[in-house]
Amino acid sequence: MTIRALQAASVGAALLLWEGAARARLVDPLFVPAPTAVAAALGQVLGEALPALGRTVATAFVAYALSVGLGVGLGLVIGARRFLGDVLSPFLLAAYGLPKILVLPWIVLILGTGATPAVVYGTLHGLFPVLLLVIGGVRDVDRSLITTARAFGARPWQLYSRVILPAIVPAVLAAMRLGIVFALLGVLVVEMFAGVRGMGFELSAFANAFQAPELFALTLLVSAVAIAIGLVLDGLGERLNRWR
Amino acid sequence: MIGRVLAARAALGLGVVLAWEVAARARDPLLYIPPSRVLPALARLLLLRSFPLLPEHVWLTLREILVAYALAVGVGLAVGAVLGLRPTLGRVYAPLLGALYAVPSVVWYPSLMLLFGLGAASKIAFGFLLGVYPVVLAVLAGVRQVSRELVTVARAFGAGPGRVFRTVMLPSMLSTLTGGLRAGLALTVVGVIVGEVLGSTAGLGYLITYAYGLLRTADYVALVLVTLAIVLAIDAAAGLAERRARRRWA
Repeated sequence: MTIRALQAASVGAALLLWEGAARARLVDPLFVPAPTAVAAALGQVLGEALPALGRTVATAFVAYALSVGLGVGLGLVIGARRFLGDVLSPFLLAAYGLPKILVLPWIVLILGTGATPAVVYGTLHGLFPVLLLVIGGVRDVDRSLITTARAFGARPWQLYSRVILPAIVPAVLAAMRLGIVFALLGVLVVEMFAGVRGMGFELSAFANAFQAPELFALTLLVSAVAIAIGLVLDGLGERLNRWR
Repeated sequence: MIGRVLAARAALGLGVVLAWEVAARARDPLLYIPPSRVLPALARLLLLRSFPLLPEHVWLTLREILVAYALAVGVGLAVGAVLGLRPTLGRVYAPLLGALYAVPSVVWYPSLMLLFGLGAASKIAFGFLLGVYPVVLAVLAGVRQVSRELVTVARAFGAGPGRVFRTVMLPSMLSTLTGGLRAGLALTVVGVIVGEVLGSTAGLGYLITYAYGLLRTADYVALVLVTLAIVLAIDAAAGLAERRARRRWA
């Protein structure tokens, strides 16, 4: 049996077990509804949820574009200057690792509860992993390549476009793959926290209303969309890698 | 050279604080709190004037982190070991875990709130969920680093599975494993705090949303600084433990 078949069989078996447990009332269907009930709920709320999903994904893509643009741009500048990188690294690592949700109340206080705080907070989440990966990538570019290119009279922009950019493609790809998850996360958090319209808001509304089937259905929907976006980015990444 | 870097870092930090002071004074005092007003608020907070129950909330948050992390390490090591030591299982289930990793974790939080309520249990569950991934991934990556020959030799000399794990596998995967354990702790902390901010009745995150809801912005900034200090202290302790573990076993 192939791995795919085994994976499908395991997921199927888990769903069957879950269905059986819910039907036999081993779990409280009020909190853990059966997969069939979740599927039925998905059909019911899908029409209402799709606009919210679209809004969330669109906001996340704006935050993502900003994260990748700023992250790659700043990363190229900071990574190429060793002293600047050394000075900034503890601040950047702290900004990456510390819980950003602590500044979210302040962001909402200043920017209100529209799409702007969601974009800003999504960017705040997406920017630092991209920035750190790109800085690392630029720093790891083989010094002898740069020296050789310089010796053959390469101008600074030639150095960037012909040597450094191709060399950091793997780092940028990894950053792009990671960035979308973080941007989406940031947008969802704002929607949950500040009641900004979108999937995060829908999820917390269903949780507060104890509508478990609808909640589970939308959770699965968002997860599936996130996984799909990841797979599309993987596909794009392969192409970019071939260009290199 | 190192002196220059440190000096530049200090200058940058100081510059940011000064710029913050100047910029905040020129703006709405309710929304922009300059450092000169944060310090008195911080003093009031630490003297337990603004929130007399602060120690209890801090203690609750710390306990949530501790329980969530213990669960994450226990389950993460077990799952990682099973998937790593049984290659067939690993090939089937590791990709499924990897796919879940692509999902922004916060989508699970409303479901956890529904299942576990507004109390500590949902924060523990969310902290666990965030912390367990790096541990599993580190064990999986670590097991792959262990040389097959060493394991075979140890087995041939009559070492049991537990002995092989302790004396052969652990030392060769140590740096990967401690890295994963540390990343897991950092994410557990983030998970617990995010959970508290998004919906709770007690804890540091609750105090932060409470102060924000009442527009006690100076108290809010002071609470954020205290929380950051606690997070940094936890990470520093983890770093210390990591270095000790390396010296002892590597």
